[in-house]
Amino acid sequence: MTRRVAVIGGAASPCGKLQTAVGSPLQALEHEILAPLVIEAMSRAGLPKEEVGALVFAMCRPYTLQKYFATFLANYLRLPLKGTIMEVLGNGMTGGMAFDEAVNAVALGHADVALALGINMESQANSAEHMMTTMRAVGDVDFHSIFGFTPISWYAMDAVRYMHEFGATRAELASVAVKDRRHASLNPIAQFRTPLTLVEVLAARPIVEPLGLYEVPPRSDGAVCLVVCAEDVAKATRRPYALVRGRGFFHEGAHQINEVPNDMTAFVSAQGAGAAAYRSAGITAADLDLAELYAPCTIVQVLAGEALGLTPRGKGAAQAAAGETSLGGRIPICTSGGCLSRGHPAYSTGLLTIFELWEQLTHRAGERQVRNARLGAGSCELGNYNAALVHVMEAVA
Amino acid sequence: MTLPFIDMARARPWPPRVSAFTKPFWDALAEGRLVTTRGRTSGRLTFPPKPFCPYDWGREVEWVELSGRGKLYSQTVIHAVPAAFAGEAPICNGIVDLDEGLRVAARILGEPALDAAMECVVLRYTDGPLHAFRMTA
Repeated sequence: MTRRVAVIGGAASPCGKLQTAVGSPLQALEHEILAPLVIEAMSRAGLPKEEVGALVFAMCRPYTLQKYFATFLANYLRLPLKGTIMEVLGNGMTGGMAFDEAVNAVALGHADVALALGINMESQANSAEHMMTTMRAVGDVDFHSIFGFTPISWYAMDAVRYMHEFGATRAELASVAVKDRRHASLNPIAQFRTPLTLVEVLAARPIVEPLGLYEVPPRSDGAVCLVVCAEDVAKATRRPYALVRGRGFFHEGAHQINEVPNDMTAFVSAQGAGAAAYRSAGITAADLDLAELYAPCTIVQVLAGEALGLTPRGKGAAQAAAGETSLGGRIPICTSGGCLSRGHPAYSTGLLTIFELWEQLTHRAGERQVRNARLGAGSCELGNYNAALVHVMEAVA
Repeated sequence: MTLPFIDMARARPWPPRVSAFTKPFWDALAEGRLVTTRGRTSGRLTFPPKPFCPYDWGREVEWVELSGRGKLYSQTVIHAVPAAFAGEAPICNGIVDLDEGLRVAARILGEPALDAAMECVVLRYTDGPLHAFRMTA
């Protein structure tokens, strides 16, 4: 059994610093942040708690003390479940996979209503120590991590190669950060909302050359809950919803780099996942009104946009600089402000992607609303876009 | 002829684990040779070395020596480094496409331009070797 699935509600905390320091006399507790978001999301959905049949969590960071957080929260909320309950993990794809599994639970009839939710707490962790863990997730521990490759160092190498092959300029790449900040200034949950200039982005201290501080992700905490349901349940609420219209996935069978030299900046997994998602939705990239991309660095947004057919190959940075991917432009990308300015609570970022699409497609996005938004695409990835998961969502009012 | 050696007056920041299978790789590197495995039935090279062929899953592999020569595909300078690498910051790392058709990520020495001809060198740390690449002399 499969059936059409919709997002009927959502709620998110502000991104930024929610976590408290170890030893702080008053601690911020994950369940006390996430549970009210569940209640708010269900209230926005107009559904009673008894309808919920499945919970799919983006796994918490190791800094979260409560283990088996999912079942702990089911108890905290007194939610018996006939469908499923699980925590998923897939590096940067984690939040997107949580959404995907919640959609599956509904599509397969295991539940009529499923929550996809997560809380990512990491802002208090020392960055150099944090990278001792993350470097082991983005490379071969014995053949890559030994050199100190960090997650964003792979993206930096994408940037170097991309500029070399296509003649894209530093300023064009940096313009993505300026654009994202402008979008974030209109988003109440964004971590950074004060305007940023191109001069500031280019003058920032280097983190992974050529990328400086404003072109790499901030450390972010964040929590989000999405209410996923069967389309007939959504219809019965008489509220606007976002229909899951298409879905695509691809993993290229490589971990960070392909051992056979290939075109690294083509992001073949995003190409494959995007094509599959468009095919299942019966659309082309040109039909999209907006796209919310998982893009921890400026270069990633450019390359993912090209791979998904939103901008022509080799022209993504130039088109961003020309305003084509800005609000009001031809195809607005990352209207939330994206990872760079909305914030990047990594394991929950994929959920925030769908949250932004739901807000846009139900016309709740306020000042950053894309006019007449009907079709939106969301992507998430892991590694150096070695895998990509793409959803196409459609507004139904 | 062996690869050039560069002596490093310290231990590796975060040494690799060595298994019974990968020991020949690290032993060869310490002797100035870059080696990997080739599937006997597929005839295909793989890197890092594996106790089977990832292409046809054949279980018979042989160790072969690589030239260590190739072209620089990309590189970066990492300023924000993991804690264990604080003493080496900033780190210049990159990706080299070897003449044998293998892509390898490792330390880069000097400031080569992309597509420059590169050669493998062995960084001889006090506790063992690491491979690195520099512009061909």
